[in-house]
Amino acid sequence: MKKKATALLLAGFLMLTACSSNANTNNQADTGSEGNAAGSQKITVWAWDKNFNIAAMNLAKDAYVADHPDAQIEVVEYAQDDIIQKMNTGLNSGTASGLPNIVLIEDYRAQSFLQTYPDSFQELGDAINASDFADYKLGPTSFDGKQYGVPFDSGVVGLYVRTDYLQEAGYTVDDLQDIDWQQYIEIGKAVKAKTGKDMLTQDPNDLGLIRMMIQSAGSWYLKEDGTTPDLKDNAVLKEAFESYKELMNANIVKINSDWSSFLAGFNSGDVASIPTGNWITPSVKSAADQSGKWAVVPFPKLKNAANSVHASNLGGSSWYVLNNEGKEAAVEFLGATLGSDVDLYQKLVTDVGVIGTYKPAAEGEAYGAADEFFGGQKVIADFAKWTAEIPNVNYGLHTYAIEDILKVEMQNYLNGTAVDKALSDAQSQAESQIQ
Amino acid sequence: MRAVNHTMRNRAKLTGWLFIAAAVLMICLFYFYPMIQALLLSFKTGAGANLQFDGLSNYKRLFSDKTFFTAVKNTFLFLIVQVPVMIVLAMIISVLLNDSKLRFKGFFRTAIFLPCVTSLVAYSVVFKYLFGNDGLVNLALMNMHILSEPIQWISHPVWAKVTIIIAITWRWTGYNMIFFLSSLQNIDNSIYEAAKIDGASGPRQFFSITVPLLKPIILFTSITSTIGTLQLFDEIMNITKGGPGNATLSISQYIYNLSFKYTPDFGYAATVSYSIVVMIIILSFLQIKLAGDDK
Repeated sequence: MKKKATALLLAGFLMLTACSSNANTNNQADTGSEGNAAGSQKITVWAWDKNFNIAAMNLAKDAYVADHPDAQIEVVEYAQDDIIQKMNTGLNSGTASGLPNIVLIEDYRAQSFLQTYPDSFQELGDAINASDFADYKLGPTSFDGKQYGVPFDSGVVGLYVRTDYLQEAGYTVDDLQDIDWQQYIEIGKAVKAKTGKDMLTQDPNDLGLIRMMIQSAGSWYLKEDGTTPDLKDNAVLKEAFESYKELMNANIVKINSDWSSFLAGFNSGDVASIPTGNWITPSVKSAADQSGKWAVVPFPKLKNAANSVHASNLGGSSWYVLNNEGKEAAVEFLGATLGSDVDLYQKLVTDVGVIGTYKPAAEGEAYGAADEFFGGQKVIADFAKWTAEIPNVNYGLHTYAIEDILKVEMQNYLNGTAVDKALSDAQSQAESQIQ
Repeated sequence: MRAVNHTMRNRAKLTGWLFIAAAVLMICLFYFYPMIQALLLSFKTGAGANLQFDGLSNYKRLFSDKTFFTAVKNTFLFLIVQVPVMIVLAMIISVLLNDSKLRFKGFFRTAIFLPCVTSLVAYSVVFKYLFGNDGLVNLALMNMHILSEPIQWISHPVWAKVTIIIAITWRWTGYNMIFFLSSLQNIDNSIYEAAKIDGASGPRQFFSITVPLLKPIILFTSITSTIGTLQLFDEIMNITKGGPGNATLSISQYIYNLSFKYTPDFGYAATVSYSIVVMIIILSFLQIKLAGDDK
């Protein structure tokens, strides 16, 4: 009896260990061999945002399947937070077998994945020509001199404005071309006085506006090396903080608390402008009754920062191939579609409103089309032009960690702490936290 | 005869062990093994999968980490304000619902217990919309002319804390009420009858009979609520995400941020989670000591 029990227990243990070691060896084998299975291999893609990224990937899939009838591509929608969580737990356990073949990663986070999980991502090699993509996208998508991502969503920002409210306040769209944040605040005050509408809506827990401001001047939270915090004595960041406070104190900001109340802010006609990324276009257009009342002007720049330009980026993202079974097929698929297909990019613009960062595509017809919703403005061409002007910065590894520190210091600053003290406190916290 | 007896007894013992062997194995595998792994992990540093042993450096970092202390401060504020309020509320409601003259008892009990059945995420999301700037709560208060302009329930540091406290009170009061109710029904009615004959008033009966007799349940609910509050996560994650500016950051939310929001630092996240273990042990020990219950 006793012997039997021990034997049973032992057998149980053996089975358990056998399972786990089996999984490991399988995984190692995957990363090594298997080259000729490409084509019949099923490719899984994870991304977020049904109306934007998922729609774009589905167009790429259709284009590819037309030429490769036996290709199997499955596009799965997850929230961005879920993707990050699944990727981190999966990659940290040392196996990429439960993960997709292709995944969308936000540019701010790209380096933290590429650097902390080396060998988990597949180098793209000759599948794409990196120099065909906008320069500022190459920093986040490459590591150690090798290209790992297919640069995608440009994240280029513009200032969406309600022309009817501006008119009521005595301004035309021309008055808003190439302004700085001080002028923006003055216009906002006039709009508020004449129409009673706020100039913009902001979530105090989201410093996206600060990110856009500092990138427009080629600055970031970290130094060029991507790891040293650059908060104290960062003149650009200081000016961005000061402009933000002025904006908040001018009584022209409608506070929102999340994405849906952000959307409601402009869909309900409560705010006169939206300074944000071009991916907001489908959401602005969803209020069909506001057609013809909107225009997009260049992003305001910082007044004193010498390098500040009228172009910046907010939360662009790119596609990555994981180093697991089916990677060859995945690389081939990406290379043939989003990596080189000019026709596909035209379709992306007309059907979904996605502006990629593939330079040759900008020559296409769809990029020059006028948009009636924006009063006949050629918005896509404008965005494509601004994309080329976005300063290149190294986002490094710690965008969101530093931003959480800055959020607290921003509250302190708004409540009366001196800006220099707030930034130097943030610096010392960041230094102790980032190791 | 004696020898046979002996082997039989041994055999019975072995059979007993065999019966629980599967459970013991599973508990070791799925409870103790991860606990030990997490403890080991808390001594490692590095980003993502590049971990190496680094002695006590994570624990040193813990004691100089301002964000961690903010999280601890917030969590204890929730604990100190919310748990007593909730337990007193649960006790009062249960006494009211235990009244033999009350009609539609089943309906009221179900209504108050119902929040505990809802999913944590679902109710958090509903609360987020109720307490939004243009949410139902603000609309109602403004229509009743109690407020002249909307309260920023979620975007203001103080109001955000209030919102979280209201949310967890709504969710958990009914849960604790059930324990009080079941315990109240075990109190012999003759005690109250005797008190009535002696001329004790309602409040007097409550404080001199009900509360002392409920002491073990008060202890139990306060310990479980303490543990629950120290692990507070779903509400924070779904209503405020720890904001504005860390004003509602809980320790669990901080662990989530360290693991998934920032560049993953699983070693330090494990250290922070072990700090919760230590706090729960100390607090539970104190509560048992204060209650003076040695059993």
